[in-house]
Amino acid sequence: MAKIEEVKAMVEAGKAKLVPGLVQEALDEGSAAKDILQAMVGSMGVVGDKFSTGEIFVPEMLMAAKAMAKGVDVLKPLMAGDTSNSLGTCIIGTVAGDLHDIGKNLVSMMIESAGFTMVDLGVDVAHEKWVEAIKENQNVTLVACSGLLTTTMPSLKEAVQTVKASGLTGFKVLVGGAPVTQQFADEINADGFAPDAGSAAVKASELVKSL
Amino acid sequence: MTLTQRENFEIMLNGGKPEFAPLLYELYKVCMLATNNTDQPWQGGKDPFGVNWVATAEGVIPESGKILFDDIADWKEYVKFPDVDSLGIEQMAQIELADFTDEKRKEQPVAVFNACGLFERMAAFMGFENTLCALIEDPDSCHEFFAAMADYKIACINRYIDAYKPDVIIYFDDLATARGMFMSPKTYREVIKPYHKRIVEAVTSRGVIFNQHTCGKCEDIIEDYVEMGIKIWDAAQVCNDLEGILTKYHGRLIVEGGWDTSGPASYMGAPVEAIIEETKRCAEQYGKKGNFILFPVLMNEKGHAFMTGDERIPALIMTWNQVNKL
Repeated sequence: MAKIEEVKAMVEAGKAKLVPGLVQEALDEGSAAKDILQAMVGSMGVVGDKFSTGEIFVPEMLMAAKAMAKGVDVLKPLMAGDTSNSLGTCIIGTVAGDLHDIGKNLVSMMIESAGFTMVDLGVDVAHEKWVEAIKENQNVTLVACSGLLTTTMPSLKEAVQTVKASGLTGFKVLVGGAPVTQQFADEINADGFAPDAGSAAVKASELVKSL
Repeated sequence: MTLTQRENFEIMLNGGKPEFAPLLYELYKVCMLATNNTDQPWQGGKDPFGVNWVATAEGVIPESGKILFDDIADWKEYVKFPDVDSLGIEQMAQIELADFTDEKRKEQPVAVFNACGLFERMAAFMGFENTLCALIEDPDSCHEFFAAMADYKIACINRYIDAYKPDVIIYFDDLATARGMFMSPKTYREVIKPYHKRIVEAVTSRGVIFNQHTCGKCEDIIEDYVEMGIKIWDAAQVCNDLEGILTKYHGRLIVEGGWDTSGPASYMGAPVEAIIEETKRCAEQYGKKGNFILFPVLMNEKGHAFMTGDERIPALIMTWNQVNKL
Protein backbone atom coordinates (compact mmCIF):
# COMPACT_ATOMS: atom_id res chain seq x y z
CA MET A 1 0.00 0.00 0.00
CA ALA A 2 1.33 3.44 -0.90
CA LYS A 3 2.05 5.54 2.17
CA ILE A 4 -0.62 8.06 1.23
CA GLU A 5 -3.16 5.24 1.28
CA GLU A 6 -1.92 4.23 4.73
CA VAL A 7 -2.33 7.81 5.89
CA LYS A 8 -5.93 7.76 4.68
CA ALA A 9 -6.65 4.46 6.40
CA MET A 10 -5.07 5.52 9.69
CA VAL A 11 -6.91 8.84 9.75
CA GLU A 12 -10.16 6.97 9.24
CA ALA A 13 -9.21 4.58 12.04
CA GLY A 14 -8.34 7.48 14.34
CA LYS A 15 -4.74 6.42 14.95
CA ALA A 16 -3.42 9.78 16.10
CA LYS A 17 -0.05 8.40 17.19
CA LEU A 18 0.67 6.73 13.85
CA VAL A 19 -0.46 9.40 11.41
CA PRO A 20 2.39 11.96 11.81
CA GLY A 21 5.02 9.31 11.07
CA LEU A 22 3.09 8.04 8.08
CA VAL A 23 2.63 11.56 6.74
CA GLN A 24 6.38 12.08 6.98
CA GLU A 25 7.00 8.77 5.23
CA ALA A 26 4.56 9.75 2.47
CA LEU A 27 6.46 13.01 2.03
CA ASP A 28 9.75 11.11 1.96
CA GLU A 29 8.25 8.83 -0.65
CA GLY A 30 7.64 11.89 -2.85
CA SER A 31 3.99 12.68 -2.28
CA ALA A 32 3.14 16.38 -2.38
CA ALA A 33 1.93 17.96 0.85
CA LYS A 34 -1.26 19.21 -0.78
CA ASP A 35 -2.05 15.69 -2.05
CA ILE A 36 -1.58 14.22 1.41
CA LEU A 37 -3.82 16.92 2.85
CA GLN A 38 -6.45 16.23 0.23
CA ALA A 39 -6.28 12.53 1.02
CA MET A 40 -6.89 13.25 4.69
CA VAL A 41 -9.78 15.59 3.86
CA GLY A 42 -11.25 12.70 1.86
CA SER A 43 -10.85 10.39 4.84
CA MET A 44 -12.72 12.82 7.06
CA GLY A 45 -15.51 12.89 4.52
CA VAL A 46 -15.80 9.14 4.83
CA VAL A 47 -15.73 9.45 8.63
CA GLY A 48 -18.46 12.11 8.51
CA ASP A 49 -20.63 9.89 6.34
CA LYS A 50 -20.16 6.94 8.69
CA PHE A 51 -21.15 9.15 11.61
CA SER A 52 -24.24 10.43 9.83
CA THR A 53 -25.38 6.89 9.06
CA GLY A 54 -24.74 5.70 12.63
CA GLU A 55 -21.92 3.36 11.71
CA ILE A 56 -19.55 5.14 14.07
CA PHE A 57 -20.12 7.40 17.08
CA VAL A 58 -18.71 10.65 18.41
CA PRO A 59 -15.55 9.16 20.01
CA GLU A 60 -14.47 7.50 16.77
CA MET A 61 -15.08 10.73 14.88
CA LEU A 62 -13.15 12.73 17.45
CA MET A 63 -10.23 10.34 17.22
CA ALA A 64 -10.20 10.65 13.43
CA ALA A 65 -10.25 14.45 13.68
CA LYS A 66 -7.42 14.28 16.21
CA ALA A 67 -5.42 12.00 13.90
CA MET A 68 -5.89 14.38 10.99
CA ALA A 69 -4.85 17.36 13.11
CA LYS A 70 -1.61 15.57 13.99
CA GLY A 71 -1.00 14.93 10.31
CA VAL A 72 -1.72 18.54 9.41
CA ASP A 73 0.86 19.64 11.99
CA VAL A 74 3.52 17.85 9.94
CA LEU A 75 2.31 19.44 6.71
CA LYS A 76 1.84 23.01 7.96
CA PRO A 77 5.46 24.20 7.61
CA LEU A 78 5.50 22.89 4.05
CA MET A 79 2.26 24.57 3.09
CA ALA A 80 2.78 28.02 4.58
CA GLY A 81 1.45 30.52 2.09
CA ASP A 82 -0.19 27.87 -0.07
CA THR A 83 -3.89 28.61 -0.05
CA SER A 84 -4.83 26.38 -2.96
CA ASN A 85 -6.44 23.81 -0.70
CA SER A 86 -7.98 26.22 1.75
CA LEU A 87 -11.69 26.86 1.85
CA GLY A 88 -11.10 30.07 3.75
CA THR A 89 -11.66 31.06 7.33
CA CYS A 90 -14.59 29.88 9.41
CA ILE A 91 -15.69 31.89 12.44
CA ILE A 92 -17.39 29.58 14.93
CA GLY A 93 -18.99 29.91 18.35
CA THR A 94 -22.11 29.42 20.43
CA VAL A 95 -24.54 32.32 20.46
CA ALA A 96 -25.07 34.75 23.33
CA GLY A 97 -26.54 33.02 26.38
CA ASP A 98 -25.39 29.54 25.38
CA LEU A 99 -22.50 28.17 27.42
CA HIS A 100 -22.50 24.64 26.00
CA ASP A 101 -19.52 23.94 23.81
CA ILE A 102 -19.56 20.22 23.12
CA GLY A 103 -21.41 20.36 19.81
CA LYS A 104 -19.52 23.44 18.75
CA ASN A 105 -16.11 21.90 19.45
CA LEU A 106 -16.93 18.80 17.49
CA VAL A 107 -18.29 20.75 14.54
CA SER A 108 -15.20 22.94 14.67
CA MET A 109 -12.92 19.92 14.37
CA MET A 110 -14.91 18.51 11.49
CA ILE A 111 -15.07 21.78 9.57
CA GLU A 112 -11.34 22.22 10.08
CA SER A 113 -10.87 18.73 8.69
CA ALA A 114 -12.68 19.82 5.54
CA GLY A 115 -10.01 22.45 4.87
CA PHE A 116 -11.02 25.61 6.71
CA THR A 117 -8.92 27.78 8.96
CA MET A 118 -10.87 28.01 12.19
CA VAL A 119 -11.35 31.03 14.42
CA ASP A 120 -13.15 29.80 17.52
CA LEU A 121 -14.86 32.60 19.43
CA GLY A 122 -15.81 30.18 22.21
CA VAL A 123 -19.15 30.24 23.99
CA ASP A 124 -21.70 32.96 24.78
CA VAL A 125 -20.63 35.11 21.85
CA ALA A 126 -22.22 38.57 21.84
CA HIS A 127 -23.97 39.41 18.56
CA GLU A 128 -21.63 42.28 17.69
CA LYS A 129 -18.63 40.05 18.32
CA TRP A 130 -19.49 37.97 15.24
CA VAL A 131 -19.32 41.06 13.06
CA GLU A 132 -16.07 42.21 14.66
CA ALA A 133 -14.52 38.81 14.04
CA ILE A 134 -15.50 38.86 10.37
CA LYS A 135 -13.85 42.26 10.04
CA GLU A 136 -10.74 41.27 11.99
CA ASN A 137 -9.95 38.07 10.11
CA GLN A 138 -8.88 37.58 6.53
CA ASN A 139 -10.84 35.63 3.93
CA VAL A 140 -13.81 34.76 6.14
CA THR A 141 -15.98 32.50 4.02
CA LEU A 142 -18.16 30.94 6.68
CA VAL A 143 -19.80 31.91 9.97
CA ALA A 144 -20.96 28.89 11.98
CA CYS A 145 -23.32 29.65 14.86
CA SER A 146 -24.42 27.03 17.37
CA GLY A 147 -27.36 27.13 19.76
CA LEU A 148 -27.83 24.01 21.89
CA LEU A 149 -30.81 25.08 23.92
CA THR A 150 -34.38 26.05 23.12
CA THR A 151 -33.84 29.07 25.35
CA THR A 152 -31.13 30.37 23.05
CA MET A 153 -32.98 29.91 19.77
CA PRO A 154 -34.06 33.60 19.79
CA SER A 155 -30.41 34.49 20.34
CA LEU A 156 -29.42 32.38 17.34
CA LYS A 157 -31.92 34.32 15.27
CA GLU A 158 -30.53 37.61 16.50
CA ALA A 159 -26.94 36.55 15.80
CA VAL A 160 -27.79 35.63 12.21
CA GLN A 161 -29.74 38.84 11.71
CA THR A 162 -26.91 40.95 13.13
CA VAL A 163 -24.37 39.34 10.81
CA LYS A 164 -26.66 39.64 7.79
CA ALA A 165 -27.50 43.26 8.58
CA SER A 166 -23.84 44.24 8.96
CA GLY A 167 -23.46 44.86 5.24
CA LEU A 168 -20.43 42.57 5.16
CA THR A 169 -20.32 40.03 2.33
CA GLY A 170 -18.26 37.15 1.00
CA PHE A 171 -19.36 34.50 3.48
CA LYS A 172 -22.23 32.16 4.26
CA VAL A 173 -23.91 31.55 7.60
CA LEU A 174 -24.33 27.99 8.85
CA VAL A 175 -26.42 27.15 11.94
CA GLY A 176 -26.90 24.04 14.04
CA GLY A 177 -27.61 22.65 17.49
CA ALA A 178 -29.99 20.16 19.07
CA PRO A 179 -33.25 22.15 18.77
CA VAL A 180 -32.42 23.65 15.37
CA THR A 181 -34.18 22.36 12.27
CA GLN A 182 -34.01 23.18 8.58
CA GLN A 183 -37.33 24.97 9.00
CA PHE A 184 -35.97 27.13 11.81
CA ALA A 185 -32.80 27.83 9.82
CA ASP A 186 -34.96 29.02 6.92
CA GLU A 187 -37.08 31.15 9.24
CA ILE A 188 -34.05 32.99 10.60
CA ASN A 189 -32.54 33.41 7.13
CA ALA A 190 -29.45 31.27 7.67
CA ASP A 191 -27.74 30.06 4.50
CA GLY A 192 -27.37 26.52 5.71
CA PHE A 193 -28.24 24.04 8.43
CA ALA A 194 -26.57 20.82 9.46
CA PRO A 195 -28.02 18.25 11.85
CA ASP A 196 -24.68 16.85 13.01
CA ALA A 197 -20.94 17.42 12.90
CA GLY A 198 -20.26 15.21 9.89
CA SER A 199 -22.96 16.90 7.85
CA ALA A 200 -21.71 20.29 9.02
CA ALA A 201 -18.35 19.72 7.32
CA VAL A 202 -20.05 18.67 4.09
CA LYS A 203 -22.50 21.57 4.22
CA ALA A 204 -19.73 24.04 5.01
CA SER A 205 -17.80 22.99 1.89
CA GLU A 206 -20.93 23.13 -0.26
CA LEU A 207 -21.86 26.59 0.94
CA VAL A 208 -18.41 28.03 0.42
CA LYS A 209 -17.99 26.50 -3.02
CA SER A 210 -21.22 28.23 -4.04
CA LEU A 211 -19.90 31.67 -3.08
CA MET B 1 -62.83 6.31 44.62
CA THR B 2 -59.86 8.47 43.75
CA LEU B 3 -56.51 6.93 44.56
CA THR B 4 -53.67 8.83 46.18
CA GLN B 5 -50.56 9.47 44.10
CA ARG B 6 -48.78 6.71 46.02
CA GLU B 7 -51.53 4.14 45.53
CA ASN B 8 -51.82 4.93 41.84
CA PHE B 9 -48.00 4.83 41.46
CA GLU B 10 -47.75 1.44 43.14
CA ILE B 11 -50.34 -0.05 40.78
CA MET B 12 -48.35 1.29 37.85
CA LEU B 13 -45.06 -0.06 39.24
CA ASN B 14 -46.58 -3.51 39.48
CA GLY B 15 -47.75 -3.42 35.88
CA GLY B 16 -51.43 -3.00 36.74
CA LYS B 17 -53.86 -0.49 35.36
CA PRO B 18 -53.57 2.79 37.24
CA GLU B 19 -56.51 5.12 37.68
CA PHE B 20 -54.65 8.00 36.03
CA ALA B 21 -51.38 8.87 34.37
CA PRO B 22 -49.42 10.94 36.91
CA LEU B 23 -47.87 14.34 36.42
CA LEU B 24 -44.36 14.54 37.85
CA TYR B 25 -45.10 17.88 39.50
CA GLU B 26 -47.84 16.22 41.55
CA LEU B 27 -46.49 12.71 41.89
CA TYR B 28 -43.33 12.97 43.97
CA LYS B 29 -42.07 14.89 46.90
CA VAL B 30 -38.87 15.83 45.09
CA CYS B 31 -35.70 16.32 47.14
CA MET B 32 -32.63 17.80 45.56
CA LEU B 33 -30.57 19.56 48.22
CA ALA B 34 -28.18 16.73 49.11
CA THR B 35 -26.86 16.29 45.59
CA ASN B 36 -26.19 20.00 45.62
CA ASN B 37 -23.47 19.21 48.17
CA THR B 38 -22.28 15.82 46.92
CA ASP B 39 -22.29 16.29 43.16
CA GLN B 40 -23.09 19.66 41.58
CA PRO B 41 -24.24 22.96 43.05
CA TRP B 42 -27.58 23.85 41.46
CA GLN B 43 -26.90 27.56 41.85
CA GLY B 44 -23.36 27.32 40.51
CA GLY B 45 -19.99 27.39 42.29
CA LYS B 46 -17.44 24.74 43.16
CA ASP B 47 -18.43 21.14 43.84
CA PRO B 48 -16.61 19.02 46.45
CA PHE B 49 -14.09 17.90 43.81
CA GLY B 50 -13.16 21.47 42.86
CA VAL B 51 -15.03 21.68 39.55
CA ASN B 52 -16.65 25.08 39.01
CA TRP B 53 -20.27 24.94 37.81
CA VAL B 54 -22.02 27.76 36.01
CA ALA B 55 -25.77 28.25 36.29
CA THR B 56 -27.69 28.54 33.03
CA ALA B 57 -31.42 28.77 32.35
CA GLU B 58 -31.57 25.04 31.67
CA GLY B 59 -29.36 23.84 34.51
CA VAL B 60 -25.78 24.01 35.72
CA ILE B 61 -22.82 23.00 33.58
CA PRO B 62 -19.08 22.81 34.26
CA GLU B 63 -17.38 26.09 33.37
CA SER B 64 -16.45 25.98 29.71
CA GLY B 65 -12.77 25.47 28.99
CA LYS B 66 -11.82 24.74 32.61
CA ILE B 67 -10.74 21.15 33.12
CA LEU B 68 -8.81 19.50 35.93
CA PHE B 69 -6.87 17.14 33.66
CA ASP B 70 -6.96 15.97 30.05
CA ASP B 71 -5.64 12.41 30.28
CA ILE B 72 -7.71 9.89 32.20
CA ALA B 73 -4.50 8.03 33.08
CA ASP B 74 -3.74 10.96 35.41
CA TRP B 75 -7.03 10.96 37.31
CA LYS B 76 -5.57 9.73 40.61
CA GLU B 77 -3.31 12.79 40.77
CA TYR B 78 -6.24 15.18 40.55
CA VAL B 79 -9.32 13.50 41.99
CA LYS B 80 -9.57 13.70 45.75
CA PHE B 81 -12.73 12.10 47.06
CA PRO B 82 -14.51 14.16 49.68
CA ASP B 83 -15.23 12.79 53.12
CA VAL B 84 -18.89 11.76 52.89
CA ASP B 85 -19.37 12.65 56.57
CA SER B 86 -18.58 16.27 55.75
CA LEU B 87 -21.19 16.75 53.03
CA GLY B 88 -24.20 17.49 55.18
CA ILE B 89 -26.51 14.92 53.63
CA GLU B 90 -28.44 14.39 56.86
CA GLN B 91 -28.89 18.12 57.42
CA MET B 92 -30.18 18.57 53.87
CA ALA B 93 -32.72 15.79 54.47
CA GLN B 94 -33.90 17.44 57.66
CA ILE B 95 -34.43 20.73 55.85
CA GLU B 96 -36.25 19.23 52.89
CA LEU B 97 -38.47 16.94 54.88
CA ALA B 98 -39.18 19.34 57.73
CA ASP B 99 -42.80 19.80 56.71
CA PHE B 100 -43.28 16.42 55.12
CA THR B 101 -45.31 14.53 57.69
CA ASP B 102 -45.82 10.79 57.90
CA GLU B 103 -49.37 11.39 56.70
CA LYS B 104 -48.08 13.10 53.56
CA ARG B 105 -45.60 10.29 53.04
CA LYS B 106 -48.47 7.82 52.98
CA GLU B 107 -49.96 9.74 50.06
CA GLN B 108 -46.92 10.78 48.07
CA PRO B 109 -43.66 8.96 47.19
CA VAL B 110 -40.36 10.65 48.02
CA ALA B 111 -37.87 10.97 45.15
CA VAL B 112 -34.29 12.07 45.77
CA PHE B 113 -32.12 13.47 42.97
CA ASN B 114 -28.59 12.19 42.53
CA ALA B 115 -26.98 14.29 39.84
CA CYS B 116 -23.80 13.91 37.81
CA GLY B 117 -23.49 10.20 37.08
CA LEU B 118 -20.33 8.37 36.13
CA PHE B 119 -20.03 9.60 32.55
CA GLU B 120 -21.06 13.16 33.35
CA ARG B 121 -18.57 13.24 36.23
CA MET B 122 -15.71 12.24 33.96
CA ALA B 123 -16.80 14.95 31.52
CA ALA B 124 -16.95 17.48 34.38
CA PHE B 125 -13.30 16.73 35.10
CA MET B 126 -11.96 16.38 31.56
CA GLY B 127 -14.42 18.00 29.16
CA PHE B 128 -16.57 16.01 26.76
CA GLU B 129 -14.05 15.66 23.94
CA ASN B 130 -11.32 14.22 26.17
CA THR B 131 -13.83 11.98 27.91
CA LEU B 132 -15.22 10.55 24.71
CA CYS B 133 -11.76 9.85 23.35
CA ALA B 134 -10.70 8.28 26.67
CA LEU B 135 -13.50 5.74 26.47
CA ILE B 136 -11.91 4.17 23.42
CA GLU B 137 -8.28 5.25 23.84
CA ASP B 138 -7.71 4.16 27.41
CA PRO B 139 -10.52 1.92 28.65
CA ASP B 140 -8.32 0.48 31.43
CA SER B 141 -7.95 3.84 33.13
CA CYS B 142 -11.65 4.48 32.58
CA HIS B 143 -12.46 1.23 34.36
CA GLU B 144 -10.37 2.29 37.36
CA PHE B 145 -11.94 5.73 37.43
CA PHE B 146 -15.52 4.49 37.13
CA ALA B 147 -14.96 1.82 39.79
CA ALA B 148 -13.72 4.41 42.27
CA MET B 149 -16.44 6.90 41.34
CA ALA B 150 -19.12 4.21 41.72
CA ASP B 151 -17.83 3.59 45.26
CA TYR B 152 -18.29 7.29 46.02
CA LYS B 153 -21.76 7.39 44.48
CA ILE B 154 -22.83 4.31 46.41
CA ALA B 155 -21.50 5.73 49.68
CA CYS B 156 -23.48 8.92 49.09
CA ILE B 157 -26.62 7.10 47.97
CA ASN B 158 -26.57 4.87 51.04
CA ARG B 159 -26.49 8.00 53.16
CA TYR B 160 -29.36 9.46 51.12
CA ILE B 161 -31.38 6.33 51.72
CA ASP B 162 -30.70 6.41 55.46
CA ALA B 163 -31.51 10.11 55.74
CA TYR B 164 -34.46 10.55 53.39
CA LYS B 165 -35.96 7.05 53.37
CA PRO B 166 -36.90 7.66 49.74
CA ASP B 167 -39.09 5.57 47.51
CA VAL B 168 -37.12 6.58 44.43
CA ILE B 169 -33.56 7.63 43.64
CA ILE B 170 -33.33 9.64 40.42
CA TYR B 171 -29.82 9.08 39.07
CA PHE B 172 -28.70 11.52 36.39
CA ASP B 173 -26.36 10.53 33.60
CA ASP B 174 -26.83 11.95 30.13
CA LEU B 175 -25.33 9.51 27.69
CA ALA B 176 -26.91 10.67 24.45
CA THR B 177 -27.35 13.57 22.09
CA ALA B 178 -30.61 14.44 20.36
CA ARG B 179 -29.57 12.15 17.52
CA GLY B 180 -28.01 9.15 19.22
CA MET B 181 -25.71 7.84 21.90
CA PHE B 182 -22.53 9.79 22.66
CA MET B 183 -20.67 6.52 22.42
CA SER B 184 -21.55 3.21 20.79
CA PRO B 185 -23.77 0.89 22.84
CA LYS B 186 -20.83 -1.53 22.78
CA THR B 187 -18.55 1.05 24.41
CA TYR B 188 -21.23 1.85 26.99
CA ARG B 189 -21.66 -1.83 27.80
CA GLU B 190 -17.95 -2.51 28.09
CA VAL B 191 -16.70 0.58 29.88
CA ILE B 192 -19.56 2.18 31.82
CA LYS B 193 -22.33 -0.33 32.33
CA PRO B 194 -20.55 -2.64 34.84
CA TYR B 195 -20.24 0.28 37.28
CA HIS B 196 -23.66 1.66 36.48
CA LYS B 197 -25.00 -1.80 37.32
CA ARG B 198 -23.29 -1.71 40.71
CA ILE B 199 -24.99 1.59 41.51
CA VAL B 200 -28.38 0.26 40.43
CA GLU B 201 -27.91 -2.83 42.59
CA ALA B 202 -26.88 -0.74 45.58
CA VAL B 203 -30.17 1.15 45.32
CA THR B 204 -32.54 -1.68 44.45
CA SER B 205 -31.02 -4.04 47.04
CA ARG B 206 -32.33 -1.63 49.67
CA GLY B 207 -35.84 -1.74 48.26
CA VAL B 208 -35.60 1.65 46.58
CA ILE B 209 -36.78 2.25 43.01
CA PHE B 210 -34.11 3.27 40.52
CA ASN B 211 -35.10 6.09 38.21
CA GLN B 212 -32.59 6.69 35.42
CA HIS B 213 -32.42 10.17 33.95
CA THR B 214 -30.98 10.15 30.46
CA CYS B 215 -31.91 12.84 27.96
CA GLY B 216 -31.49 12.39 24.23
CA LYS B 217 -31.90 9.46 21.88
CA CYS B 218 -30.75 6.62 24.10
CA GLU B 219 -33.23 3.95 23.02
CA ASP B 220 -30.37 1.66 21.98
CA ILE B 221 -29.59 0.96 25.63
CA ILE B 222 -33.10 0.86 27.11
CA GLU B 223 -32.92 -2.93 27.14
CA ASP B 224 -29.74 -2.62 29.24
CA TYR B 225 -31.55 -0.33 31.64
CA VAL B 226 -34.39 -2.77 32.09
CA GLU B 227 -32.00 -5.69 32.46
CA MET B 228 -30.15 -3.89 35.28
CA GLY B 229 -33.35 -3.34 37.22
CA ILE B 230 -34.00 0.29 36.36
CA LYS B 231 -37.71 0.80 36.82
CA ILE B 232 -38.28 4.33 35.56
CA TRP B 233 -36.64 6.16 32.66
CA ASP B 234 -36.78 9.90 33.19
CA ALA B 235 -36.88 12.80 30.78
CA ALA B 236 -37.69 10.34 28.02
CA GLN B 237 -37.59 12.54 24.95
CA VAL B 238 -39.59 12.28 21.76
CA CYS B 239 -36.52 11.60 19.62
CA ASN B 240 -36.96 8.02 20.88
CA ASP B 241 -39.74 5.63 19.87
CA LEU B 242 -41.65 6.27 23.08
CA GLU B 243 -44.81 4.49 22.00
CA GLY B 244 -42.85 1.39 21.03
CA ILE B 245 -40.93 1.45 24.32
CA LEU B 246 -44.13 1.95 26.35
CA THR B 247 -45.66 -1.07 24.68
CA LYS B 248 -42.60 -3.31 24.73
CA TYR B 249 -41.69 -2.75 28.37
CA HIS B 250 -45.11 -2.46 29.96
CA GLY B 251 -44.88 -3.77 33.51
CA ARG B 252 -41.09 -3.53 33.48
CA LEU B 253 -40.30 0.12 32.73
CA ILE B 254 -42.21 3.33 33.35
CA VAL B 255 -41.53 6.13 30.90
CA GLU B 256 -41.29 9.56 32.54
CA GLY B 257 -41.13 12.50 30.15
CA GLY B 258 -42.86 12.60 26.79
CA TRP B 259 -42.81 16.38 26.38
CA ASP B 260 -41.44 17.67 23.08
CA THR B 261 -38.52 19.52 24.61
CA SER B 262 -37.41 20.95 21.27
CA GLY B 263 -40.91 21.89 20.14
CA PRO B 264 -42.88 25.13 20.36
CA ALA B 265 -44.31 24.30 23.81
CA SER B 266 -40.78 24.42 25.20
CA TYR B 267 -39.76 27.66 23.53
CA MET B 268 -39.17 30.55 25.86
CA GLY B 269 -42.46 32.32 26.47
CA ALA B 270 -44.56 29.67 24.74
CA PRO B 271 -48.26 30.64 24.90
CA VAL B 272 -50.45 28.68 27.28
CA GLU B 273 -52.44 27.36 24.29
CA ALA B 274 -49.30 25.60 22.97
CA ILE B 275 -48.72 24.08 26.41
CA ILE B 276 -52.29 22.83 26.67
CA GLU B 277 -52.06 21.33 23.19
CA GLU B 278 -48.80 19.53 24.06
CA THR B 279 -50.31 18.30 27.34
CA LYS B 280 -53.23 16.78 25.48
CA ARG B 281 -50.93 15.20 22.90
CA CYS B 282 -48.92 13.50 25.64
CA ALA B 283 -52.08 12.15 27.28
CA GLU B 284 -53.41 10.81 24.00
CA GLN B 285 -50.15 9.43 22.66
CA TYR B 286 -48.50 8.08 25.82
CA GLY B 287 -50.72 8.47 28.88
CA LYS B 288 -53.25 5.90 27.80
CA LYS B 289 -50.55 3.21 27.72
CA GLY B 290 -50.72 3.12 31.53
CA ASN B 291 -47.02 3.24 32.34
CA PHE B 292 -46.31 6.88 31.69
CA ILE B 293 -45.53 9.88 33.92
CA LEU B 294 -45.72 13.29 32.27
CA PHE B 295 -42.69 15.51 32.81
CA PRO B 296 -43.38 18.87 31.13
CA VAL B 297 -40.59 21.24 30.19
CA LEU B 298 -41.68 24.85 30.39
CA MET B 299 -38.97 27.44 30.04
CA ASN B 300 -39.18 31.02 31.26
CA GLU B 301 -36.79 33.88 31.91
CA LYS B 302 -35.79 32.37 35.26
CA GLY B 303 -35.16 28.91 33.85
CA HIS B 304 -36.89 25.54 33.95
CA ALA B 305 -40.41 25.86 35.37
CA PHE B 306 -39.91 22.68 37.38
CA MET B 307 -37.25 24.46 39.42
CA THR B 308 -38.42 28.06 39.22
CA GLY B 309 -42.22 27.92 39.01
CA ASP B 310 -44.30 29.40 36.23
CA GLU B 311 -47.65 31.11 35.94
CA ARG B 312 -48.66 28.68 33.15
CA ILE B 313 -48.39 25.63 35.41
CA PRO B 314 -51.94 25.80 36.86
CA ALA B 315 -53.44 25.64 33.36
CA LEU B 316 -51.19 22.69 32.55
CA ILE B 317 -52.18 20.83 35.72
CA MET B 318 -55.86 21.50 35.17
CA THR B 319 -55.66 20.25 31.58
CA TRP B 320 -53.69 17.15 32.55
CA ASN B 321 -56.16 16.21 35.25
CA GLN B 322 -58.95 16.44 32.68
CA VAL B 323 -57.28 14.15 30.15
CA ASN B 324 -55.15 11.73 32.18
CA LYS B 325 -57.83 9.25 33.32
CA LEU B 326 -57.37 5.65 32.25
